[in-house]
Amino acid sequence: MAGGGGGMEVPQRVKRGSKAHKRKKKHRIGFRLDMTPLVDVAFLLLTFFMYTTSLITPQIMKMNVPKDNTEVKQNEKDMYTIAISGDGKVYTHMAQDDPSEVALTALRAQAVENNMIRRNKLITVFQASPEAPYGSVVKVLDILNQAEGDIVQKLHQDNPDEKRNRKFAFIKMTPEDEAKLKGLQK
Amino acid sequence: MPKVKKKRVGFAVDMTPLVDVTFLLLTFFMFTAKFKNEADAEQKFVIHRPEAAADTSKLPDKDLATVKIAIDTTTHDTAYFYSIVDEVQRQKVYQNMQFSQEQSQKAMVKVDLPTLDKMIQQTRAAAWKTQYAIDCDKGIRYKYVEDLIDILRKNNATAFNFVTEKRQ
Repeated sequence: MAGGGGGMEVPQRVKRGSKAHKRKKKHRIGFRLDMTPLVDVAFLLLTFFMYTTSLITPQIMKMNVPKDNTEVKQNEKDMYTIAISGDGKVYTHMAQDDPSEVALTALRAQAVENNMIRRNKLITVFQASPEAPYGSVVKVLDILNQAEGDIVQKLHQDNPDEKRNRKFAFIKMTPEDEAKLKGLQK
Repeated sequence: MPKVKKKRVGFAVDMTPLVDVTFLLLTFFMFTAKFKNEADAEQKFVIHRPEAAADTSKLPDKDLATVKIAIDTTTHDTAYFYSIVDEVQRQKVYQNMQFSQEQSQKAMVKVDLPTLDKMIQQTRAAAWKTQYAIDCDKGIRYKYVEDLIDILRKNNATAFNFVTEKRQ
């Protein structure tokens, strides 16, 4: 504290108005108020609110699925299938090819690449094994959502008039599909 | 020669800036504080939400119905918990479901799939604007989620939300 302890001095009040001389006022020099209880309570409330607020609020991932009774025939050639096996591994294949395992880190690039080849015709088909953990399902959906940004950008670069038309489908995994994935692991 | 220390009697520190900052922080936290809703207060299990890339979309605080899928702490089985945020809508649905007095007090109910189907149907009828959110633990097997999505589709609630947490 340089300059000595003169911090708390409040400057002497200057009389205002013309009525000041009517009553004889007591001169209050250096009036001070004990702020300690106020500060105590303020800190108490502050700590309470700091502990009770959680700054991390949950966010949401929007999903849109077709109605129950809609059946759409699609060209199998345009199907890019992403499957999650029971142990959370990701397998992908185009059309009727054999599925092959893909690392999560490579999935984004692969999704972008396949979309660039088939352009807007590509349908991303997503299926997950009933035993797959929900966490890995969301992880894959998140990667696909991120890839979407790249796809939109690249499509626009190639042809500014082309509007992005995202096609996405949830398909149930049949026991045959699952057996096929299991067979690949050996 | 050692310095002669000044004896300081009744020393006072200027607390004004400290108090200023404290009140500033206090007001900040008071305004940002968001309190748990009734359903969260009743919740007896922990949900570890899956992580997703940072997004600006937030969970709406009204016209929302949440289905939580988690492991019940007392029976240790995977169960569905249904809650409607809006009190009026909730009571309406409970009434149509012919819930007992005791059941109607709860903001969140543990339900099985057929009951959940009926409740969502009632919610759709009582409040068509309601949005649906699926709040599921990341360790839960996908079949539970798939069954729920099937129910939502059956009731024409084709747009719904997965509740996630921002990846740090």
